[in-house]
Amino acid sequence: MRKYRTSYPISWRIMDVLEAAFASIWPKGGGKYTPYLMLAPAILLVGALVVGLLYIGDSSLRVLDRSTFLFSDHWTIENYKRAFSESFTLTVIWRSLLGAFIVTFFTLLLAFPYAYVMVRTSSSFLRKFLLIALFLPFFIGQVVRAYGWLIILGSQGIVNDALGLVGVEPIRLLFNYPAVLFGLIQYMLPFGVLMLAPAMTAIPEEVEAASGSLGANWIKTLWYVIIPMAKPGIIGAGLVVLTLSLTDFAMPAILGGGSQDFIANAIYDQFFRTSDQGFGSALTIILIGIGSMMVGLIFMVFGAGTLALGSEKK
Amino acid sequence: MNTSRTQSVIFWTIVTLSILTLSAPTLVVLGASFTSGNIIDFPPDGFSLKWYGEILGEQDLREAFGRSLIVACICVLVSLPTGTLAGIALAKYRVRAGSAIQTYLLLPFTIPLIGSGIGLMLFFGQAGVLGNLWPIGIATAVINLPFMIWAVSSSAASLDPDLELAALSCGAGPVQTFFNVTLPAVTPGVITGSLLMFILSLNEFLVSLLLVDARIVTLPVQIYNSIRSIITPDLAAVSVVFIAVATIAIIALDKLVGLEIFLKSK
Repeated sequence: MRKYRTSYPISWRIMDVLEAAFASIWPKGGGKYTPYLMLAPAILLVGALVVGLLYIGDSSLRVLDRSTFLFSDHWTIENYKRAFSESFTLTVIWRSLLGAFIVTFFTLLLAFPYAYVMVRTSSSFLRKFLLIALFLPFFIGQVVRAYGWLIILGSQGIVNDALGLVGVEPIRLLFNYPAVLFGLIQYMLPFGVLMLAPAMTAIPEEVEAASGSLGANWIKTLWYVIIPMAKPGIIGAGLVVLTLSLTDFAMPAILGGGSQDFIANAIYDQFFRTSDQGFGSALTIILIGIGSMMVGLIFMVFGAGTLALGSEKK
Repeated sequence: MNTSRTQSVIFWTIVTLSILTLSAPTLVVLGASFTSGNIIDFPPDGFSLKWYGEILGEQDLREAFGRSLIVACICVLVSLPTGTLAGIALAKYRVRAGSAIQTYLLLPFTIPLIGSGIGLMLFFGQAGVLGNLWPIGIATAVINLPFMIWAVSSSAASLDPDLELAALSCGAGPVQTFFNVTLPAVTPGVITGSLLMFILSLNEFLVSLLLVDARIVTLPVQIYNSIRSIITPDLAAVSVVFIAVATIAIIALDKLVGLEIFLKSK
């Protein structure tokens, strides 16, 4: 009896029970359903989002009656007509789109050398330092970072205090369009670099040496070798930065001070200030539409880049 | 290497500029939290820890921080099993309609955050559960789920399927194979994913803002609301809490899986 115990430990017995339980609930030959069962919880979880989107779609088709504060029973496209005829919404959409493209351009411009240096450096200490400099702000969150910029750029902020010491009148650095764009660029930079870096790693160092030994200078190597080879990463990074800045809420709200609203801020105001859920929902659907159209367009022109879940090898 | 001098100079100028912009807000918040003055001033009025004493006494801030921690824990509890299973399934099996399922699971990333937030607000509102903390935890799990799936599936892709066959042929059942072979192989991914989920949920601002009411504000929302009134050093001291948590998370990530994992190409 004793010998049996030592040779058959308790953990094995537990495992036996588990295996038996598993075998009893799992039909023979059920193996082909395994992946779907494993995916089911995730599909359910994202389902909450899908149902939410259906609610948005439904309320976007109902108009608020201002006298009774009730929503219409029948569906109408009145909210969408209103969105595209009001100059306010068109201004906000234009401001967000333009901002997103400017931010993407400058973020990629800054992120490319960062990713390149980080991947190519031979010093592991430097690589670690660059990674930490990237992750720390990424992990700190948008509100705290925007708060830091308020301290630096505010009317009684560090920059203006420093200027005051040399006798310069305070300058209004905040609550304008460039301030919002600047805040967005520094917020997006870690996303950009982290999307670019794997693509950069995939480029063998030898091709640069080869290009150099064939007589290309560094600009030519960069333009004809590295950038084309890093293209999947550039597209991935560009898409992520473009859509995230197009739809951002916190930077326009905090650094724009209400005067530089993006679409997300307009949507928030419709829901929480004006309480016009119908019009807010219509704006949300329009934003989703613009975002998907841009993503689709870029996918069509450039391909999906590095944006793919799971493995493509099978 | 025959890297050109001009290239080094240009690249390093840009990188230095980037590092400065990335770290400036963090350093300034840190500095401001140690001021002894009543307003944030430059040059600082002197060094003191009085604002840290101050925030310990402020009940709303303490409670808001506690709520943020609860939300982040719920988020990890929900997303860890869900994302791990999905990540393994996507990496290991040939799934029928796989690309459709992938596109579906990427929805939280392709739908703008404000759209997801409003959608989940309406969803939980219809279910009549708004005003609790757990819907916020679930909401942050939904919107960040692709991170978890991505982290797990990229480490599951490197798992040799023969190992599992070997375990089975040595007499291990499917459950034992899963726990002793598959799961250990994806552990780096699970750790990376869970840490990301925890931090992103702790910091989540917009979705929190949409789902909270005045009684259950989370810390980022509390800071946002206070910023709009007046900038005082106690906010800087609270923000240092986020900086501290971020630092711990980075150290943990580095020790457990190594930050360099993010530089790996697929």
